Amino acid sequence: MTCQFVYSAADMAVDITLLFKASVKTVKTRNKAIGIGFDSTKDDIFKRNRPKNGFSPRAKEVITNITKLKDFLLQHRKDYVSAGSLISSDLTRMTDSERDQIDQDAQIFMRTCSEAIKQLRNEAEKKVTSAQIKEHRGVVLDLIGSYLKGVCKLYSEQRAIRVKRMVDKKRLSRLTPEHHKRVEKQREVEPAEEKTVKEESSEKNVSDVPDNTAEHLWEEGGVEDELSPEEIQMFEQENQKLVSEMNSLVDEVRQIEGKVVEISRLQEIFAEKVLQQESEINSIHQLVVGATENVKEGNEDIREAIKNNAGFRVWILFFLVMCSFSLLFLDCGSQAQKDILLSRSKKKEKKKGDDVLSSHTHHPAQASVA
Amino acid sequence: MAASVREKQTVALKRMLNFNAPPLKNTTAEPVWKVLIFDRFGQDIISPLLSVKELRDMGITLHLLLHSDRDPIPDVPAIYFVMPTEENIDRICQDLRNQLYESYYLNFISAISRSKLEDIASAALASNAVSQVTKVFDQYLNFITLEDDMFILCHQNKELISYHAINKADILDTDMEAIMDTIVDSLFCFFVTLGAVPIIRCPRGNAAEMVAGKLNKKLRENLRDARNSLFTGDNMTAGQFSFQRPLFVLADRNVDMATPLHHSWTYQALIHDVLDYHLNRVVMEEGAGPDSPPAGARPKKKNRKTFDLTAADRFWQKHKGSPFPEVAESVQEEVETYKAQEDEVKRLKTIMGLEGEDDGAISMLSDTTAKLTSAVSSLPDMLEKKRLIDLHTTVLTAVIDHIRTRKLDVYFENEEKLMSKSTLDKSLLDIITDPDAGTPEDKMRLFLIFYITAQQAPSESDLDQYKKALLDAGCDLSPLNYIKQWKAFTKMAATPANYGNSGVKPMGLLSRVMNTGSQFVMEGVKNLVLKQHNLPITRILDNLMEMKSHPETDDYLYFDPKMLRGSESSIPRNKNPFQEAVVFVVGGGNYIEYQNMADYAKSKQGKKVIYGCSELFNATQFIKQLSQLGQK
Repeated sequence: MTCQFVYSAADMAVDITLLFKASVKTVKTRNKAIGIGFDSTKDDIFKRNRPKNGFSPRAKEVITNITKLKDFLLQHRKDYVSAGSLISSDLTRMTDSERDQIDQDAQIFMRTCSEAIKQLRNEAEKKVTSAQIKEHRGVVLDLIGSYLKGVCKLYSEQRAIRVKRMVDKKRLSRLTPEHHKRVEKQREVEPAEEKTVKEESSEKNVSDVPDNTAEHLWEEGGVEDELSPEEIQMFEQENQKLVSEMNSLVDEVRQIEGKVVEISRLQEIFAEKVLQQESEINSIHQLVVGATENVKEGNEDIREAIKNNAGFRVWILFFLVMCSFSLLFLDCGSQAQKDILLSRSKKKEKKKGDDVLSSHTHHPAQASVA
Repeated sequence: MAASVREKQTVALKRMLNFNAPPLKNTTAEPVWKVLIFDRFGQDIISPLLSVKELRDMGITLHLLLHSDRDPIPDVPAIYFVMPTEENIDRICQDLRNQLYESYYLNFISAISRSKLEDIASAALASNAVSQVTKVFDQYLNFITLEDDMFILCHQNKELISYHAINKADILDTDMEAIMDTIVDSLFCFFVTLGAVPIIRCPRGNAAEMVAGKLNKKLRENLRDARNSLFTGDNMTAGQFSFQRPLFVLADRNVDMATPLHHSWTYQALIHDVLDYHLNRVVMEEGAGPDSPPAGARPKKKNRKTFDLTAADRFWQKHKGSPFPEVAESVQEEVETYKAQEDEVKRLKTIMGLEGEDDGAISMLSDTTAKLTSAVSSLPDMLEKKRLIDLHTTVLTAVIDHIRTRKLDVYFENEEKLMSKSTLDKSLLDIITDPDAGTPEDKMRLFLIFYITAQQAPSESDLDQYKKALLDAGCDLSPLNYIKQWKAFTKMAATPANYGNSGVKPMGLLSRVMNTGSQFVMEGVKNLVLKQHNLPITRILDNLMEMKSHPETDDYLYFDPKMLRGSESSIPRNKNPFQEAVVFVVGGGNYIEYQNMADYAKSKQGKKVIYGCSELFNATQFIKQLSQLGQK
């Protein structure tokens, strides 16, 4: 009720399109009166030549295809799902092969649609147009993608119901050989029990009935002929036991069914999440690879640096040693030079002294002569 | 008014975005894509109501501003949502000439005039695009709905209709007329969207009276025009569950000047007061660590984060009116519940790890399977909850920082006491001269509230003392001049507003803190408990709704647009109490009043109150306007 109220009460906006058209007419007449002309035909023709391979027409095509698929699925949904009772043989019921066909077709269709979307996306990215158009196209493709996902969900729901029914059938069909086995076991047990009963009764009875023959009879015959009330009771009891065991089995089977469906749902959810994480993991992988390479390069650089450092050290040592040696030699050299100089100067002095002496003796000789 | 205003406006917007046809409920409908173009007014209207994701879901691929550079996107219909102003019309004509889009759906926020429509028509003719203009609509959505029961008029050019603009001394008649027209136009759109014709009551002799008169006239004209009336048709008859019309109370800001200056203690009001909060969006800077970076290092870049506080956030809706310590506690509780859920999920993980090897234990597996299913399906909800908890934690931390540095709890307590006329613990002068209690603005606010609520004006010497203290603290005294004028003016009018009795009980300072063991360090912040009290405007509303007789409201004018004989005002015919009311404050309002009104509506069973104001300001902005007024 409230929804209805809301929708009808929200009719507050006033449609003035007619008013607008009326104003267009007034303006037209006014223009005619003033004498402004315009040609309309040229533009119309120009507009008609819209590019057929544009983005929009193709996107619209994809949408129409998806809609076709949706209609197809919805149309056949009832028949597909109506495996009401396993024993029924309605004419409208689909055979399994038809169902498989539908599944296959739907899958192929969905795959082609998603590929078409991807193609459109690649093309849109390659064509370097303005940023706004790019964003617009990206969002349009997202919208189409989510529409496709919605339709795929329809399909997968149908499929899930079908799979569940198949699992159903399989379990039940497996149950019947077990049932047979169990019944046989019971049958073997029955004669044994009856044998003991018979033995008791025969013990009780007067040996009118020959025991051996009775036992023989019972061993061979099995569960035929006269059934005394006790045996009937026993049979009934065993029947009841069987029935209760079957019931518990059925319950267990149902539980397992439910769990399998839950598990499948969980798996779906997990698969979705895993797919979501795929892209993140990819990016992490890239980062890690980049990081390892960086670390390797860093190691190399460090090694080089160490080498350079070592080499540098060697050179420094060498330089120091050379310096010290040069210092030493310079020093010794200077010392030696000093010695030489000293000795030379001494010699010179001696020489001088001798000269002086000689001159001195010379002079006085000369002086005395003069 | 079965649906709230917000819902109605949202529905109207969605219809508009669906090419003006009612949206279908089909979940897998074919996507139709379109481009939305709005101007700033349109943006303000749409942004509190529809998120970008919702727009995308409706098929809107791009949303652009009208006056931005737009590239031609052929083959796409464009929906315009603009105000019919000159520049917008020119731009639309330009777009038509440039053939930007395939088809045009023009929606005008308020009614467009005939001449402007002809301008568009001539442009369309000139560029031969008449066939492309598919629909033209008047949307009548010229107001912004912020909450289910709160709306404001505009956010963009609010200086034009601000308190300052209305009350300034040198206002011209033409300016006043223009302002009144803007306000009346928006109110008219509001009532059209609401779908009801109200009964109008307003006080005498101020801006509110002018607005009421004009609105009455406009509504009456529209109702008379039976052909084009917006209020007839199945709008009114379809499920108007209340047979009464709503009461529309127009109040003027001058009736209560203290509330906008008041320091608040409820969550939403605090955020509005302390942080940057507009249109349901909080903008905060974050990233500054507790210790400042060492000198010489590059300062850490502060990121600006925006948070949207929306209707979908259940915690926000529940607690936005709660007093602050309660909110902190609730956030703690939410965090604990979330952690418990997270632990359960983790525990399931380990159990599953063990059980995977054991084929036989099917029975145990069933339980865990069921639990696992429920856990996995509840994962998105949990993630969303975590995001909201983080959001509120950040916001709360920021608010607490402010409270602590400015000692807002002290101010709140004192102001409450002033407004209820009980005695203060510390004298006013002490608080003002206290150097580390709040910014100068806080002190100014406290003093102004004191001045407003004082029974008789303080003596000249006292006043000088206060003035000196305020000047020492660094306050600007021009608001005080204006308040003096205002007080003198209102003294001639009714009795000074009585703020009712409100008791403020400070709880044990440390006991509560210790009990909650809160991660929010609340030491030094008193846990104050609010007692219910009614602000003046709430009391006016109460009197009018319940038809009580009170000297304050007895001489309020009465307008009924539906009356055939149009007299100015008449005696109220209706003696029954009203069930719905719309309160509108001309000159501005704030969240404290809104909260008070919402609490009042909650306390009365079955009454709905919508609060609206011409603009929404916090105390800082109000003081700025007052100082502008006081400087004249």
